[in-house]
Amino acid sequence: MRQEWKSLIRKVVYFVIIAALLVPLAMISRPATNKSPGGMLAQLRQQHQLAQANLGEIDPASETIRLASLGMTGIAANILWEKANHYKLVEDWTSFKTTLDQITRVQPNFAAVWRFQAWNLSYNVSAEFDDYKDRYYWVKQGIEYIQRGTLFNRDHPKLLWDVGWFICQKIGRADERKQFRRLFKNDEDFHGARARTEDFDNWLVGKEWFLRAQEAVARGSSLRGMSPLIFYADAPMSQINYSANLNEDGRFGEFAKAAWAQSAEEWLAYGNMNTPTSYGFDIRLNEREALEEQAQELRDKLEALAPGLRQRLIDQKRATLTAAQREALDLPVSERVGDQHIRASEAREITEVTHREVAGHIEGEDGIQALRIANQLEDIEESARVTQRYRDIVNFDYWRARCLMERTDDALLARELVHEGAEKRASGDPNGAKESYAEGLKYWKKVLDEFPSMLDDRTTGEDLSKVIEQYREILDQVEEPFPEDFPLQNVIDRYPPKPY
Amino acid sequence: MVVETEIIPFFEWLQLAVPFFLTVAVAVAVFALAASYLICAVRYGPLAGGDVVYRVVTTSIKEILQISPRRVFALAWLAIQESVRRRVLVVFAVFLAILLFAGWFLDNSSHDAGKLYLSFVLTATTYLVLLLALFLSVFSIPNDVKSRTIYTIVTKPVRPGEIVLGRVIGFSLVGTVVLLVMGISSYIFVFRSVNHTHEVVLLDDPELVEELPEGERFRTTTEQEHRHVIFEDADGNLATDFRNSHWHPISAEDSPEGTTYSVSPPEGTFTARVPIYGKLSFLDRAGRPASKGVNTGSEWMYRSFIEGGSAAAAIWRFPGITRERFPPEEFPDGIPFEMTLRVFRTYKGDVERGIPGSYVIRNPDKPDIQSSEQIFVAREFYTDRKFIPFELEDEKGNKLDLFEDLVSDGKLELAVKCLDPAQYFGMAQADVYLKADDAPFAMNFVKGYLSIWTQMVLVTGFGVMFSTFLNGAVAMIATLAAIIMGFFTKFVTDVATETVSGGGPIEALIRLLTQKNLVSPLEDTLGNRVAQLLDEGVMFVMVRMGYILPNFRQFDSSDYVANGYNIPWDLALQNLVATFGYLAAVFVAGFFFMKTREVAK
Repeated sequence: MRQEWKSLIRKVVYFVIIAALLVPLAMISRPATNKSPGGMLAQLRQQHQLAQANLGEIDPASETIRLASLGMTGIAANILWEKANHYKLVEDWTSFKTTLDQITRVQPNFAAVWRFQAWNLSYNVSAEFDDYKDRYYWVKQGIEYIQRGTLFNRDHPKLLWDVGWFICQKIGRADERKQFRRLFKNDEDFHGARARTEDFDNWLVGKEWFLRAQEAVARGSSLRGMSPLIFYADAPMSQINYSANLNEDGRFGEFAKAAWAQSAEEWLAYGNMNTPTSYGFDIRLNEREALEEQAQELRDKLEALAPGLRQRLIDQKRATLTAAQREALDLPVSERVGDQHIRASEAREITEVTHREVAGHIEGEDGIQALRIANQLEDIEESARVTQRYRDIVNFDYWRARCLMERTDDALLARELVHEGAEKRASGDPNGAKESYAEGLKYWKKVLDEFPSMLDDRTTGEDLSKVIEQYREILDQVEEPFPEDFPLQNVIDRYPPKPY
Repeated sequence: MVVETEIIPFFEWLQLAVPFFLTVAVAVAVFALAASYLICAVRYGPLAGGDVVYRVVTTSIKEILQISPRRVFALAWLAIQESVRRRVLVVFAVFLAILLFAGWFLDNSSHDAGKLYLSFVLTATTYLVLLLALFLSVFSIPNDVKSRTIYTIVTKPVRPGEIVLGRVIGFSLVGTVVLLVMGISSYIFVFRSVNHTHEVVLLDDPELVEELPEGERFRTTTEQEHRHVIFEDADGNLATDFRNSHWHPISAEDSPEGTTYSVSPPEGTFTARVPIYGKLSFLDRAGRPASKGVNTGSEWMYRSFIEGGSAAAAIWRFPGITRERFPPEEFPDGIPFEMTLRVFRTYKGDVERGIPGSYVIRNPDKPDIQSSEQIFVAREFYTDRKFIPFELEDEKGNKLDLFEDLVSDGKLELAVKCLDPAQYFGMAQADVYLKADDAPFAMNFVKGYLSIWTQMVLVTGFGVMFSTFLNGAVAMIATLAAIIMGFFTKFVTDVATETVSGGGPIEALIRLLTQKNLVSPLEDTLGNRVAQLLDEGVMFVMVRMGYILPNFRQFDSSDYVANGYNIPWDLALQNLVATFGYLAAVFVAGFFFMKTREVAK
């Protein structure tokens, strides 16, 4: 065959192969239309929410920059990041903020950028300013920055949660919280037309964002490593913080009662939620008491099948202990010294009798039943233990007790009277203040009798101790002695007033 | 950010610059002569080589002296025509497109929108014009050589110098027109984008009014994402507060229907302050002179801090204070000065109260003669505007005349103290300055564009010079290298003097590839030693190049315009003269390179 023919045939073959490869390529990458779901790629993109439009809004400016950077957005973002660091160092805040905006235009779907730099603005830049109004301005800049991030990353729970966190924690917990909360409430620029008609407490506004984050998860977004226990606690906690701050704002009576009732309702609803754990099973925080009851019933059943067996087994094991181990085990924990802690721990391990062990020593049909009970019991005890562990993480017991306590008429009156006393004291009426404080503290006594666990919380104890100290100062002022049989003496004993 | 490079007067600078220029010119000429002689000696023998060099030099001098302006302008006109043919006008379209969409990227609600917009237009213009100059200048002569058009030119009675000069002038003229149009469009764009007004709102919500300081019952509507609070002074004049780097005057007109208010456009956004900077010195907490204050832990060591409630003070000594410079007719309230201080609190204190400070005006030679303390409250990142009255009082209430009692030999001192114990004020030299004047902003804008023009002309000059002996692509790389080198002269010097860690280019590459950090020493291997030796050679050449090539950053005055400072004429003239100095040098170099090319003989 002539050389030219060979060359022509080769070219034709190449062309045919290319054309043949193009056909399946066109098939799988066919775009979606109103009538057809498109090719496989379009369907997969839709299924996994991978299209840019699935992530959130598309900003023409951002797209232009991304297009103009010819795929080198990573490099551009890196350079801009360095620039931003430089501007922050030399305190050029205008250029700093502009550069941050540019970074997010280059990388609008990188949630970490929005989160990190919003934090930078709200927490770091704001702290550079001395005037609290300037600080508030920059805190707000950070909040608005991350809010914009939520537009480009719709349904991103972490970003939505962050907005809530910034509004709640940065405004509500900063040293300047009094000023920040005041500015936030009256910030028409931030709240827009809603400003005049609604109560813009930062805790309530923050709660709205936590709820939006929860809705995003309900729609199928992943929590991306965040603990569900913490994630779902923040909305009800914001409601609790809102209610707690009403006291500082001087709002009591039915208004506060309703707020606390709502807090209790939300906290209990949170406790009723199914919470996944790292132990492979779900729990409900409210169920610990019920689990304890079930466990006790089963323990009794097991004991009824072989009365005294458990104690005999323990005694047998105890007989195998060394003298040092026995001595250590018998000592109260506070009196153990040095190696005694180790000995006691060894002894506990040796003398431990599991439910299965007890069941194993029961023979016949009872033995099978006992084994079934023991298995069930160990599962329930494990659930109860894990539930308690999780409850401790969010201080569940305290907040539940607090919500229940604060909504009582006695607690509301106690707080209102003490607040009234403080106002009378400030206005130069020590006698009026004395009476209000005395009355208020009487109600506090009633409240603590009803909810004694409240005193286990250091903050509550110290706050109350501070109130008692104020009462003592007022008594000094009117030259009256502090009563010897003061009904809340237990509070002072447990939380002695701190010297100023 | 404050612009604070010290500018020496033009004629003083000239006295330093001319000898330096001549020294470098002679050194380069000697080096070039020696190199030429060596090459000719190798080619033609030692005697004939010397003869060739002598002939070339003498004829060249004659040719340069005989350059005809008519022919130069004819060639310049050709260059202009060529530029138009090469669709240079596309750059306008690009620039207009940038301006059209710039609003998408720029935030006019920014804390300092004026600065943002000015920085943007100045930077965009600089990049575009420099790119234009680069592309125009480097491809022209090589294209002529490639297409053999050069033969048509050299057969005409033109000299190589005229070809080079014609190109430089022609392309510079094109660049000038482009720059002019860009400047006008930028000016309109910036003004239209930043300019705004508000309407006056009377607050009727008693709860909101309660929240505001006493007397604040009026405010403006929100425009460009900000609004102002309105103040009424003792004379009943209304004005807004200073927010987002501007304020608005307000006029009120009474009519039977009520008072109508109109808010004027913003003031303070576009300024060209003329500052007089002083020398800053410190007193420590015991009142002893100190070279600097305390470091409060900031990574940026630019500012020093003084302790409150102690004898620590920051003292600025200002020169040039004369009656003639500050006539009372022009400065009825006294000499204006502006102050921006940083505050560092070691404890929170009262959050709602600023940290108080005080300042006194003192006689530099007799510090005991000083005015009574003036109290102020520091607000960070805000420029506090104050006046030094011509008549003051001392602590005892005795009258002091500013020029008679406090100014000594044209100098005046201003001492600042922080009054709150255990709180600190931070300051740098440029944080306090006397404001001699406000120059017209439009003129400052023009001067800013003049600085871009000088850079454009330099790039054109270098581009044409390189294109006389290199082909287009290589000439472009060479010019680009010269520009980059010019922008990073300081960095190169820092690398060479080991002020910057990480070594020269080869060592840096090794560190990059082996993922080594910048500070730990390289292992003592033969390869590394060779690399470091080579680096030393490279850096030696680069530092010398740095002395010769123009420092582009020095020519760039856009920071002055963006930050609202007047570009001193001294600086503008220095840059202009330096530009022509460089142009002369690149012309001579280009002339010789062109002359040695066979096509031009």
